[in-house]
Amino acid sequence: MLEGIISLIIVIFISPLFAGMINKYKAIFTGRIGAPVFQPYYELIRLIKKETINASSSSFVSKIAPIIIFLSMIFVSSIIPVGFLKPLISFNGDIILFAYILGLARFLQILSAMDIGSSFEGMGAAREATFALFAEPIFFFSIGSIAFISGHTSMYEIFNSILLNNIGYEIFIIVCSISVFILAITECSRMPVDDPNTHLELTMIHEVMILDNSGFDLFLYQFSSYIKLTIYALIEISFFYPFGKQNHFLGILIFIVGFLTLSITLALVETITSRYKMKLIPQYLLFATSIGILNLLIYTFMK
Amino acid sequence: MLDFTIFILLPLFASFLCYIVKNIKIHFFISFFVAIFHLVLSLLVFNKLYHTILPTYFGIDSISRFFILILSNVYFWVVIVSYNYLKRPYSEKVEESKKYYFLLLNFYLASNSAAMLSNHFGMYWVASEATTLSVAPLIYYYRNEESLEAMWKYMFTVSIGIAFAFIGILFLSLASKNILYDGRQLFYWELIKNASKLNTIWLKASFIFIFVGLSTKIGIAPMHSGDVDATSNAPSPIAALMSGSLRLTALLGVLRIFQIVTFSSTYSFAKSIMIIGSLLSLFVAFAYMFKANNYKRLLAYSSVEHLGIITLGIATGGLAFVGALYHSLYNSINKIVLFLMAGNIHYKYKSREIESVKSVFKNLPITGWLFLISVLAILGIPPFGIFFSEIKIFEGLIISNQWFILVAIMFFLLFIFVNMSKKVFEILFKEDDLFSNNYVKKEKFELIHLISIMLLIMLAVIPLSFSNTIYQNILSILNDFGMKI
Amino acid sequence: MENFFSILFSLSLFYVAITFRVKAYVSVLRFQGILLALLLILPFIFKFSIYAIILPLTIVLIKVILIPNYINKIILDLDIKRKIDPTIQQLTFLIIVIASVIIIFLLTSIISNNIELNVIPFASGFSAIVVGIYLIIFRKKLIIHVCGFLILENGIFLISTAIASELPMMIELGILLDVFVVVFLMGIALNRISDTFEGFEVSHLRRLKD
Repeated sequence: MLEGIISLIIVIFISPLFAGMINKYKAIFTGRIGAPVFQPYYELIRLIKKETINASSSSFVSKIAPIIIFLSMIFVSSIIPVGFLKPLISFNGDIILFAYILGLARFLQILSAMDIGSSFEGMGAAREATFALFAEPIFFFSIGSIAFISGHTSMYEIFNSILLNNIGYEIFIIVCSISVFILAITECSRMPVDDPNTHLELTMIHEVMILDNSGFDLFLYQFSSYIKLTIYALIEISFFYPFGKQNHFLGILIFIVGFLTLSITLALVETITSRYKMKLIPQYLLFATSIGILNLLIYTFMK
Repeated sequence: MLDFTIFILLPLFASFLCYIVKNIKIHFFISFFVAIFHLVLSLLVFNKLYHTILPTYFGIDSISRFFILILSNVYFWVVIVSYNYLKRPYSEKVEESKKYYFLLLNFYLASNSAAMLSNHFGMYWVASEATTLSVAPLIYYYRNEESLEAMWKYMFTVSIGIAFAFIGILFLSLASKNILYDGRQLFYWELIKNASKLNTIWLKASFIFIFVGLSTKIGIAPMHSGDVDATSNAPSPIAALMSGSLRLTALLGVLRIFQIVTFSSTYSFAKSIMIIGSLLSLFVAFAYMFKANNYKRLLAYSSVEHLGIITLGIATGGLAFVGALYHSLYNSINKIVLFLMAGNIHYKYKSREIESVKSVFKNLPITGWLFLISVLAILGIPPFGIFFSEIKIFEGLIISNQWFILVAIMFFLLFIFVNMSKKVFEILFKEDDLFSNNYVKKEKFELIHLISIMLLIMLAVIPLSFSNTIYQNILSILNDFGMKI
Repeated sequence: MENFFSILFSLSLFYVAITFRVKAYVSVLRFQGILLALLLILPFIFKFSIYAIILPLTIVLIKVILIPNYINKIILDLDIKRKIDPTIQQLTFLIIVIASVIIIFLLTSIISNNIELNVIPFASGFSAIVVGIYLIIFRKKLIIHVCGFLILENGIFLISTAIASELPMMIELGILLDVFVVVFLMGIALNRISDTFEGFEVSHLRRLKD
């Protein structure tokens, strides 16, 4: 119980830092000094102080959506294991819950974007829905195959039970981490699927949906997107947990090193790639899906 | 070791010499001597007057004895003709390809001999891929768009086909897993000895892959397109070489796997696949003859037809098998004459279209007569060889009670006969007002004509003389395949 | 460990299916060459012998250095545009590839009930053969056809390691040499084609018909 609360707190409070780290590295790679690592915290504090103004055409959906999204993010982050701490919520089949709570968040996001009635937001919503269609199978194929290997269906149990003498596991790490990385990029609207920094409505996906939000609502949206990024990073890192099973110190080390390398990798990818054309994104996602399928195939025929 | 040197190392060395020396006349003399040595040795080997000792991966048995004789026979005549052929002025660009002509020809001889003498599927594969590589640049002799396209297509389809054959070879080694152990895998005789123990599924898969893969090179439908393009656009000696010997090299690979299959339970399966392939190629040739507009292509399709007949004979077994082997010999000789004469016509008229070639008889009387005779010979008119071998194949079909196939083939052959002779008569006899009057220069009697006459005589004499050595050899091949007449 | 390399191999096939650049094909060829060389060295890690090192070294020389460099040179010389010009949508192509890979894996596993077989390397190799053929069918540029042919060859090589067929060294070397010469000749032919037809696409090769 205590472990679960600690891990939840870690996830929530470290998430803006993760985003800040990515931005910092990105700045360094492009030859700038960049904002301080803690900049996301300052921005969140700034936002929380401001007043919320909703569009006059909006209904109650716009009011409740940010809160529900934020709560569902917190809920999801209490499923994911941090290091070897047992998460708050852990039962058989929670990977399904994990996926669908994220789905709920996305649904509300789309709904609230359409609620405002602006054409830009509607466009963003449409894109989000389309790409979500391609992104969902990636999750199920990659995490599903890991679940198959371990024989468990709970996030914590999966990574806690995998034995390293299973020869196939190294393959899974490589194959799965590629597909989950692409998934994370898509879900968190990073490059090359979406560029979080530009404000060009025609090409944006995630940012365009929250154009008309402000103040506390915007704070919740921003914070949820930071948490989401951290959650996917944690999934990626948890593939490496089985290596540190012997002692807890190693587990923590893997966590920290994984966090650092992931932020560097994300920054690197964002620096060296340019945003794909809209029509190329589905096939990019299908590529990740195919990796997931390959993963499942490998599992099935490994024996 | 002398045999290995003459069959393989000497041509290799000759092609190396052709690389150093730049004079085409010297090239020709080198190649000529190599060809003579090769022919003499293969005649000696064929008559069992020379006892061969070959290194590992090479060996000689009755079937390779027979095929290497065909190869060196075709090669010998082609080399003799080649020099005359190269001397013809054609265009500026061709000068460049002349430099590599004999080099590649010698390399072709080396690799083809290696393919025929191999007794290991891996060696066979390497060598037959090398034959493709040596022939491909020769197809591009004229340096024009058509020949370039033909070369590209031939190289591509055949390389892919051969790659498939390699998969088949791998499957064969899978089929012999746990039966043959290290160092003995993929040798023909080991596989034949253990044929009944091989895994049936893999053997079937292997047969399909090897047959389909090599059929790109044999020119069996539906994989014939690259081969037909190449044969119809290559210079005539090369076309003769391809029709007469290169296709048989690929056929040899099919024969090798077929030999293994005959001793196993997959026999009937393999038979039916080969019969389907051969009927398809006969059908393709039959269909093409109706709308043929290019006489070299016509000959290429005639090759498809005859290789189809040979495959059919092999698949039927027994007497038809004997007929098929005779047929491959006669076909190879006949094709030389046909392609050389077609080359003469092409050289004169600068066109391969049937429409633009008229009244050959008036302008090129000798060539015209020889072309007519050789066409009649290839269509199965006695006293030329093709007639006798086809009769044997039909007899074999009757004996094995395959009336249905016989009827189908008779039907196809009848229409091929009618249509092909119609097209050829159009070339030979149709009057052309523009051409005939101002072109009265008498055709000179050249070496090519002499050779063609000799080959035609050979074609008539071999079946009539009932040559015993050939018959004995074919019987021993039959024995190797476990068949009886 | 064999499985590990063959899965990376299949991953490279998926990459081939989505990439838009000609150069990416060359890098994939290089990558596959490295994988094949590693696969060959693998059984000999603990019992080192000079005999065992010859073949992997030749593979590195031919498949990793010579052929990709040669193709790169052709691309540079002929000034081939970097886009690949597919004849069908990349998305459809990728779906076709995925479907075929799934079917191949399933079939291989069915077959492997019958005979002892390394499923994953075998299926990956076979997928490479199929993908190579698809590349030849669904692409316009001739240089990509050459790449497709080479991917096909790599697949065959992978199969031959999967079924542990003991082809004699001399013959393996002969095969590699043959493949290299094929690519070399194809390169020359490509040069000629770009001279004669002023282009290097399949659509130019339409002169020969029945």
